[in-house]
Amino acid sequence: MSEEPRIGVFVCHCGLNIAGVIDVKELTEYARTIPNVVVAMDNRYTCADPGQEEIRKAIKEHKLNRVVVAACSPRLHEPTFRRTVAEAGLNPYVFEMANVREFSSWCHPSTPEEATEKAKDIVRMAVAKARLLQGLETIEVPVTNKTLILGGGIAGISAALDLAAMGFKVYLVERGESIGGHMAQLDKTFPTLDCSICIEGPKMVDVSRHPNIEIISYADILSVEGFVGNFKVKIRKNPRYIIAENCTGCGECRDVCPIEFPNEWDMNMGVRKAISVPFEQAVPLVYTINMDYCIECYKCVDACGARQAINFDQKPEEIELEVGTIITATGFDIYIPYDNSLYGYGRYNNVITALELERLILAAGPTGGKLVRASDGKKPHSVVIIQCVGSRDVNKYEYCSGFCCMYALKHSIQLKEKYGDDVEVYILYIDMRTHFKGYEEFYQRARDLGVNFIRGKVSHIIEDPETKNLIIRAEDMALGEPIELVAEFVVLSTAAIPSKGTEEMARILNVTRGADGFFMESHPKLKPIDTATDGIFLAGACQGPKDIPYSVSQGSGAASRAATILSQPTWKIEPIIAVVDPNKCRNTKAKCGICETRCPYGAIKAPEGQPAQVTTAMCHGCGTCVAECPADAITQMHFTDAQIFAQIRTALEKNPQDKILAFLCNWCSYAGADLAGTSRFEYPPTIRAIRVMCSGRVDRDFVLEAFRLGAGMVLVAACHLPYDCHYISGNVKMKARMEALVKIFEKLGLSPERFRVEYVSAAEGVKFAELIKEMTEQMEALGKEEIKAENEKLQPTLEKMLSKKQA
Amino acid sequence: MNRYAYFLGCITPNRYPGIELATRRVLEEFGIEVLDMEGASCCPAPGVFGSFDLRTWLTVAARNISIAEEMGADITVTCNGCYATIQEAKHLLKQNDELKNKVNNILKNIGREYRGTVEVKHIIEILDENIRYETIQKRIKHPLKGIKVAVHYGCHFLKPSDIRMHGTVERPTILDDFVRALGAESVDYEDKMMCCGAGGGVRAANLDVALGYTRRKIENMVDAEADCLITPCAFCHYQFDTGQIELTEKIGKKYELPVVFMTQLLGLALGMSSEDVSLNKNKTQIQTFTSKLS
Repeated sequence: MSEEPRIGVFVCHCGLNIAGVIDVKELTEYARTIPNVVVAMDNRYTCADPGQEEIRKAIKEHKLNRVVVAACSPRLHEPTFRRTVAEAGLNPYVFEMANVREFSSWCHPSTPEEATEKAKDIVRMAVAKARLLQGLETIEVPVTNKTLILGGGIAGISAALDLAAMGFKVYLVERGESIGGHMAQLDKTFPTLDCSICIEGPKMVDVSRHPNIEIISYADILSVEGFVGNFKVKIRKNPRYIIAENCTGCGECRDVCPIEFPNEWDMNMGVRKAISVPFEQAVPLVYTINMDYCIECYKCVDACGARQAINFDQKPEEIELEVGTIITATGFDIYIPYDNSLYGYGRYNNVITALELERLILAAGPTGGKLVRASDGKKPHSVVIIQCVGSRDVNKYEYCSGFCCMYALKHSIQLKEKYGDDVEVYILYIDMRTHFKGYEEFYQRARDLGVNFIRGKVSHIIEDPETKNLIIRAEDMALGEPIELVAEFVVLSTAAIPSKGTEEMARILNVTRGADGFFMESHPKLKPIDTATDGIFLAGACQGPKDIPYSVSQGSGAASRAATILSQPTWKIEPIIAVVDPNKCRNTKAKCGICETRCPYGAIKAPEGQPAQVTTAMCHGCGTCVAECPADAITQMHFTDAQIFAQIRTALEKNPQDKILAFLCNWCSYAGADLAGTSRFEYPPTIRAIRVMCSGRVDRDFVLEAFRLGAGMVLVAACHLPYDCHYISGNVKMKARMEALVKIFEKLGLSPERFRVEYVSAAEGVKFAELIKEMTEQMEALGKEEIKAENEKLQPTLEKMLSKKQA
Repeated sequence: MNRYAYFLGCITPNRYPGIELATRRVLEEFGIEVLDMEGASCCPAPGVFGSFDLRTWLTVAARNISIAEEMGADITVTCNGCYATIQEAKHLLKQNDELKNKVNNILKNIGREYRGTVEVKHIIEILDENIRYETIQKRIKHPLKGIKVAVHYGCHFLKPSDIRMHGTVERPTILDDFVRALGAESVDYEDKMMCCGAGGGVRAANLDVALGYTRRKIENMVDAEADCLITPCAFCHYQFDTGQIELTEKIGKKYELPVVFMTQLLGLALGMSSEDVSLNKNKTQIQTFTSKLS
């Protein structure tokens, strides 16, 4: 936009919220004196209809091409006023907000004069940025209205059925031979004691019969490329050595197969044939030959006969799919406690895990539903169930696995109902957690049946070498003393852990994982199903341990989230993105690619010999690459270098040595500063804040420029490390960059307190206020003269470092 | 490194000098020079001193370490308590500059400084890592065939595990492997990983409680038909040896399981006599054990 900027400034009283502290008339008067401001006016409530109408009128009357509203936080009303200016025919991005409420009137009520002066600075900074604003066009990308679901457990099944019912094509990819997941392995479900496969089986069949769903089982995801609406997915279908279309699932091949091997489905307690299905209800009902065991006697080929379903030459097959969204429902694994020597799992035959018990009491299980001890094949008369094995353990998995209390109750009830007084059942627990519908009543049912509950942690288990009974040493917290129990059988309720391959899948999908190793949601409260990558959603236990009802709900939730995209012909993307100037990019001459390594989303690629390219739809607009680019070849729209430099220079025009120049990230620190304002925490009016979307955007040169201009202090504030960043890792990149800068400052002789990197969350209003108080005190302790003297010493070096910027 | 500053601590020189004698003899046998630490004091005890006044405990420990720093030699110990104090003091001083400055400000008064330039190795680590069990095995003149040994590790050797870095604290094997390298059998016994009863000031504060532990451990070892017990710790050694006499006095039942320090056992396997390794200075009888040696 080469036209002369014609800026309108609209100062809001916000009733007395602003006008009660700041002299609004004076501020408006002042705004009129700023170059390029053609009109300035004040209004009691700018956000109300009459206030907005005044803006629209002024735009037309004064031919405004930029608008600044001095009122509240942009986090509150920026979208409102963008709409207002758009309604008057301007591009919504030529609007800028001056936050004089949260950042001035509310946090400096007892110093109205200083608050007014600060407000003037804030307005001047906003006008400085507004002069350089450009209209931006919202980007639209086409949407492929098909979806990919990873994982055929109950969460993936729920998501698939919902999306298919809405009319979308669903590819359901399952790593194993059959869909069904852990739910298909279980005997009963809590708290109703329904037969698990009896309620899941029909759903599995529905999936296989639905015309909109294609099951791709026994397959691995190789790569995922693209972006929301337009993902390209490579999948490898592993050879079953069976032609799926020809296999009728009759099982005649299995009957003649002479080879047996341990069945993982039965937790390796039972066996299956080298040609078989893992369980009778498998979907798809297609047999698989395990070549690790097959002796190639070809009896199966004869048995199959004219159906000709067996093909020993089958090869892995790669296919490519195009989908608009991806739902990750890769589930969980059970912790097998071989490494916990205290409980003796793997050493003592009669110590098993809860999932093994599940297979033992299941009628279709390896013992035909008979509970027997591995040591002597006899039914145990006393069973001790130990909770929190691996879970809630600072030495193993710190989190609570959530559903173990409930399945332990289920197991205890099943044992009591089956064997009555013939079996004594103990549950050793830390806390019983039974807080969903019908769960507490289930707990009561176990108590009524005479299950013994002992609160206390087990220290260790010893095996009686003769009887193979187990001596359990524990603490009984009710008695406050150590106890010893003798049991014929011990069941360990072990932790639910991220499923095997979660790490690799996170890399393929570019989805982050939490400290616990499970996939991480975009926001723990408000975006619990989204991931940080647009168009990829989470369902079920891959995000953290979940029971069946919770997994089903989340599956449906993910389906609904995916449908918001799939139902649209195109998808709109915010235009605040990074743009590369191919003429400035160094990658054409020498191998650079720094931007590629720094982008948290894999949205920028720097192929050898070519300028870097941003995949617009994948760019989230954090600006990390912009700050890292050594050639300054990348620009972040709406947060350009020129705009931010203009803000810095304007902020430090007068008395720079008395000011703290701060860069605040939009999601945490700016919000934290807003909260300090809304909470009316008072702090000294020394700070001048510049909003960036992510601290990753804060260029080293911004800090250098601030000191060159004589700033008293500089603050960079970000989301907390390591996981709070809204752009995955912008704060981590900023930290590394600033640590290097601190070393330079050390050499240059800058007092260390004058440059701070801090982490302030959106909830830490108090911390923000305290921080500014502390920095102001430090600034005063150093003294104006000392700061000036230091700056004079620094200036020549800084000038040199910034020379290319000045040009 | 084949020279070590030997930090004796309190129990060894005052109550069981035989531990020092045996340790010196076996280390010299493998060409490792053992250096005296002139002016070394109590470590001081990790539980009792450290939990009352961390800074004092740390300062005294740092002073002891600074002696070895002057000598330019890493430290070795034959007591788990000394091992704990020296290793944990080093850990804390490395992690916390503020604490290090405070400690060094006090040490300045006596013209000393803690620099953090030497390491500490338990005698087990020297035998396992520097000399190596395979080498020891080749030098054995008197294999301890048929001898059943009950191994006692002692708490401070293994815990806290993130500082000690000896792997599993529940089923360690380093001492059992040592016993097997000497040709003896390491017997499994109930509550093998239990405390000897002495540590943490328990022996001083409540002897009956301490002896309760000792009794249970000894009885479990006897049940497993051990011929002797070995420890890598002078304090555990003291508790088991003296403790058995005390137990016998208190409850009338005779406790007489021979108590052998790990370097004493090694000395015997290398062909030294029980006098050479000063085993005959124990309070508890050793004849039932020595009679099996020939």
